[in-house]
Amino acid sequence: MQAVIVILGWTAFAVVLARALQPAANSTAPQAAPFLGGGTPDMHAWQRFHFRPYSMSLLFIAFEMEMMFMYPWAVVFVSEGIKALAEMGMFLAILSVGILYGWREGIFRWQ
Amino acid sequence: MAMTHLVRWAARAPAPVYAAIGPGRQAEVERLLTRPGLNRAKTPRDAAILLVAGDLPSSSLDALNRLHDQLPRPRTTLRWLDGDQEAIAHRITTALRALCDGAAGEDDRLPDTPANEWKGIGPHGQGGKGMMGGTPYGRPMAMTGKDVRDGLQLDRYTTRVGPFAPMLPPGLVLEVTLQGDVICEASVQAAPFAQPAEADAPALCAARMLRLLGLDAAADRVIRGRPLRAAWVTGAVPRGLARINDTDARDRLSAWLRSRTVTVAPPDLAALLPGSEWSEAMLILASLPPSALIRAARATEAA
Repeated sequence: MQAVIVILGWTAFAVVLARALQPAANSTAPQAAPFLGGGTPDMHAWQRFHFRPYSMSLLFIAFEMEMMFMYPWAVVFVSEGIKALAEMGMFLAILSVGILYGWREGIFRWQ
Repeated sequence: MAMTHLVRWAARAPAPVYAAIGPGRQAEVERLLTRPGLNRAKTPRDAAILLVAGDLPSSSLDALNRLHDQLPRPRTTLRWLDGDQEAIAHRITTALRALCDGAAGEDDRLPDTPANEWKGIGPHGQGGKGMMGGTPYGRPMAMTGKDVRDGLQLDRYTTRVGPFAPMLPPGLVLEVTLQGDVICEASVQAAPFAQPAEADAPALCAARMLRLLGLDAAADRVIRGRPLRAAWVTGAVPRGLARINDTDARDRLSAWLRSRTVTVAPPDLAALLPGSEWSEAMLILASLPPSALIRAARATEAA
């Protein structure tokens, strides 16, 4: 009972605090327009752009995951034998799809 | 009680001023805003006082009205026509104190309605089909085009910046097409306002570049004629930016910091800016002395 009261009280406190601190965005239509030093946009501001480190981080995660699982795998490899080899083969095959995709995107073209 | 203390503090703070600079007043305004009691606001949202310096041509009055309405309330507009710095600085601090004492400030000059009406189609009121196309609030969504760097299909966003953008010379209206922050196309819609030779002073030119690098205190120091302690700041400007007459942007900044005047042949802006990122492009423009920039923009505008 005491725990419930504490939880409810804390939740109510958090809600009230969040409402009290919430910034009032009572901006007028001219203020809601993008600031362009007096200029006007031709288009809606919503747009898609390329996050360029994306393919690099994909490659990093592919190799990092590989190493993360290879350490425990190396410990049990001798006792498990061919079964462990097959499992690691499947795992590496899945990861290499990501690396192939990165290759197609041109990660390995260093400039 | 707490509020009155806050208001008293706010009244004693440096007055946040956004400057709309007219023909011939750039150097004066830049010198004025380094005074201790004044603070040069980077956006209208930060400002309480709009300083209109000089006689603006009627073609930029619409832009001024848009700018005025982007200042949060309460706000005051001050016109500065004569050259006395002492008097205008006093008027600015008085105006800020009046706003803090509860003056109502100015009303909007433009109607409080969206520039374009909402014309959503589709089940969620979005513009077109899926994530493409449509005209929410009457403005088309950006559509894809080939990226200038590696040919990826990315959205192209076209907008006009200026004439009172703080990172551009006063009066310059630049129509840019951006993909992310890369400029694909740039054209000059209006040339910068004519400025006297004083605007080319090495200290002012160096200060403009330092301000773009985020070093406002250093910029103020340089304008007040004191030596810059951190001489290594030139390293923040990339090498090879806007190489004209065998000097690049970094060389010109070092020359200005050593109080040497720089003269360059006016470049072709429409060819100089595309391909550079927004921050680089702004450094390129700031690395040209205003006189060269005005001649370059006029040539591009006429073409």
